[in-house]
Amino acid sequence: MPLEYSITYKAENTYEEWVYEAYWQFLVIPEENESQQFIGVNFTNTINANNEFSINGHGFKTIRVHPKQKFNEIGFEANFKLIKKEINPFDFKPEEDISRSYEKIQELDFKVDYEAFLRTTHFTHIPEQKTPLFQFDLAKSIFDNIQKLNEYTYGYIHFNADATDVQTTLDEVLKIRQGVCQDFTHLFCALARMNGIPARYVSGYLHQGNGYFGDSQMHAWAEAFIPHVGWLGFDPTNNILAGTNHIKVAHGKDYSDCSPLKGVVYTAGKNETVHSVQVSSQNQQ
Amino acid sequence: MVNLENQIFSSYQRNPVLFDEIFDERGQVKEVYSKLFNLYGEHSINDYVNLNEKAKSSFFNQGITFQVYDKKKTQEKIFPFDLFPRIIPPEEWKIIESGAIQRSRALNLFLWDIYHDKKIIKQGIVPMELISSSANYLDQMNNVDPPGGIYNHISGTDVIKHTDGQYYVLEDNIRCPSGVSYVICNRTALKRALFGVFNHYKTYSVTNYAENLLDLLETVKPKGVDVPNVVVITPGMFNSAFYEHSYLAKTMGVELVEGRDLFVENDFVYMKTIQGPQKVDVIYRRIDDAFIDPLEFRPDSSLGVPGLFAAYKKGNVTLANAPGTGVADDKAVYTYMPEIIRYYLNEEPILNNVHTYHCSRPKELKYVLNNIENLVIKPVDEAGGYGISIGNRLSKKEIEVVKAQILLSPRKYVAQPIMSLSVHPTYIDKSESFEQRHVDLRTFTVLGKDKEFVLKGGLTRVALKRGNLIVNSSQGGGSKDTWVLKT
Repeated sequence: MPLEYSITYKAENTYEEWVYEAYWQFLVIPEENESQQFIGVNFTNTINANNEFSINGHGFKTIRVHPKQKFNEIGFEANFKLIKKEINPFDFKPEEDISRSYEKIQELDFKVDYEAFLRTTHFTHIPEQKTPLFQFDLAKSIFDNIQKLNEYTYGYIHFNADATDVQTTLDEVLKIRQGVCQDFTHLFCALARMNGIPARYVSGYLHQGNGYFGDSQMHAWAEAFIPHVGWLGFDPTNNILAGTNHIKVAHGKDYSDCSPLKGVVYTAGKNETVHSVQVSSQNQQ
Repeated sequence: MVNLENQIFSSYQRNPVLFDEIFDERGQVKEVYSKLFNLYGEHSINDYVNLNEKAKSSFFNQGITFQVYDKKKTQEKIFPFDLFPRIIPPEEWKIIESGAIQRSRALNLFLWDIYHDKKIIKQGIVPMELISSSANYLDQMNNVDPPGGIYNHISGTDVIKHTDGQYYVLEDNIRCPSGVSYVICNRTALKRALFGVFNHYKTYSVTNYAENLLDLLETVKPKGVDVPNVVVITPGMFNSAFYEHSYLAKTMGVELVEGRDLFVENDFVYMKTIQGPQKVDVIYRRIDDAFIDPLEFRPDSSLGVPGLFAAYKKGNVTLANAPGTGVADDKAVYTYMPEIIRYYLNEEPILNNVHTYHCSRPKELKYVLNNIENLVIKPVDEAGGYGISIGNRLSKKEIEVVKAQILLSPRKYVAQPIMSLSVHPTYIDKSESFEQRHVDLRTFTVLGKDKEFVLKGGLTRVALKRGNLIVNSSQGGGSKDTWVLKT
C-alpha cells in the first residue's frame, strides 16, 4: 500500500555578531522519481527573505536564501508531502548469467560511463591494506555479493552517534570501527568501487517507525549499479535494502556532493546551527 | 650591408651550440634582422642605456606591474622589458598562426567530447585516467552545452624554436592565460623609445586584441540576449595579473568587477551599481574554477559569486573560459595532442609536440628515473613554471629528491627531453651589453562561434638569468616586443 509521508526539516542559526550578507543553499527536497510522487513543498524562513528554487551542478533541486537585511538569528523550516509507492526491493529480474555480468564490468565503455561512481574520492579512500577488506566471490552473483557487502559493512562498524563528524574520513573510521550512516555509506561505496561496482552516496530521510538506526537528522545510504538490473539501494547502517521507508533526496560521489546545507556567511564571530528532521506517515486509502 | 663594426654588439658572445635568432652559424646577421641591426648600430651603448632606463620607469609610472608570490612575502615588480625586438617573418608566422588555431579547435572538440559521449576514451585513443584522476575535471559539466559550443575561448599557446630551427609547442594554457596586456604595452614602449627604428618595418598592429576579444565574447552570448552586458571578473588587486584584468576591461570598455560586486537572483547574475542591479550576460573570468562559486565548488572561496554555476548551467550567463576547461590544460593531455588533432580534425599537427614520457607508464617511468639528468620533469597540473626540475641543473642529492617525489605519485609527473630554446640578443643591465638569452613565445588565440583569431604578435618571454630555460614572469623572466612582419 502506498504511504503518504509528511517531512519537516528545520535549521536554526544564531550568530554572535550581526550578519550583513549571507547565502544558504538547502539540498533537502525529496527527489521525484518512480517511487516518489510529490504533493507539496512549503519553505519558510523567519526573516521573510526570498526563497528561490534552483538546480545545482549535479542536477538536484535546491532552495536558496539570500537575505537583504541584517540579522543575527534565522530559522528555516521545510515541509514536504509526498506519496511513496510500496517497494519490494527484491522485485527485479535476477542476473541470469553471472559471468556475463562480470564481463560487463570489465568493459571500457562501462568503466567510462560509470567513471564518476567508480572513482576514489576524499571520503571513499581506503588506506592500503595487507589483505583486502572485502572481496567478491566470483561464483556468486553481483547482487549476492553486494548484499554480503551490506552485511559486512553493517558488522564492521558499530553505530555510535558521537564517534565521528561530517569531516571524518575512512582511515579514522577503520581505526575506531564506530560511526554513523555517513561512515557506513562511505565504507560501502569504497568497497563496492574497489570491486568494480559503481556505487553512489544517497542522502535522504528514513522513516524510523520500525526501529531502524538513524538519527533525527538526515539519513544516508548507498545505491549500487548492478549490470542488467540497474541502480539498487542498500542501507548498510541497518543491513537492509532501501525500501518504502527510505525517501531519497539526492545522490553523489560522496557526502560532499550531498551535504544538506551549504552556506556562505560574511560575519565575524561564532555561530551555531541546530538541525532537526521529523518524518511521519499514514497509509493511503 | 651588415655593419660588422656595430659597436653595441662588439662584445656579443655567440655560443655556437645555441640557435641564435639573429646571427647565423657563421656569425652573419640574418637578412630579416639586418636593417634593425644597422639602425641599432647607429646608437652608442650609452644611448641604449638611457632609453632602457626611460622605458623601465615608464612601466613603473603607468603601474604596469605584477605580483610575485613567495613563501615569505609577495612583491610588486615590473615585467622587465628588453628594447631589442624579436622579428617573426611572414612564412614562419603562417605556421604558428595556423598551428595555434588548429590546436585550439582540436582542444575545444576534445573538451566537448569528454563532457559528452567520451568517444575518444571509449575508443582507447586517450586513457580514462586523463579525466578520472584530473583535479580539473568537473563532473558538473557533464552534458552541459556551453553557449556557442565553445569551452576554450582564450588560449595561450607557448611555442619555442629548437636548435633544428623548427617551432615546438611547450604547452597549451587554456585556464586563464595571462600576458596579453604586456604585448600591447611592450609595443607602446618600443614605439615611444625607438619609433625611427620601428617605422622601417611593416609590422602588424597588436592593438586590435581587445576588440577581437569583445567580439568573441559577444558571439557566445546567452540565448535570447540581444546586446550582451559583458564584464571582466578579477580575484582582486592582489592577484599577479591584476594590471592585465583592469587593462582588458578598460580597453574593451566594459566593467571590471570582483565577486562581491555581483549577485545571483533566480538564476540570473546581476551587478550592483548605484543605479540598482544590472543584469550581466557574459563574464570573462580570471578566477580559477575552484573559486567561482562557493556554493558549488570550494566553500571557503571569497572570490566567487554564490549561485553563479547554477546560473551558468541554466544558460543565463556565459563564462569564458568555460568551467572544466582546465582538464585539457594538463601536461598529460598535452602529450596526446597529436592524436587529439588527428582524431577530431583528421589533419596532421601543424606545430610539433615535444616528445613526452608519462611517469604513469611503468616502462617510461623506468626510463625517466634512469635519465633524469637529460630530462625536464614537470608536474602535470601546475602553472606558472612552479615545480619544474631541469635534470642537468640538479645536484646528485636533488636528483634523489626528485626521484622520490616521482615515485610517490607517478601520475603527477611527465618528463621531456631538455629542449634548447633559441636565444636572442638581450640587453643585460649588469654587464651593460647585449648577451644571448633564451626566449619562447606565448601566442594568444581567441575562439568563438564562427570566429578564430590569433593576435599577430605575442609575448616573447626572456629568461634573464644566463643559461636559464624558465621564462615565466613569476620566475624572474622578462619580455620583448614581437614583430610579425607583413608580406
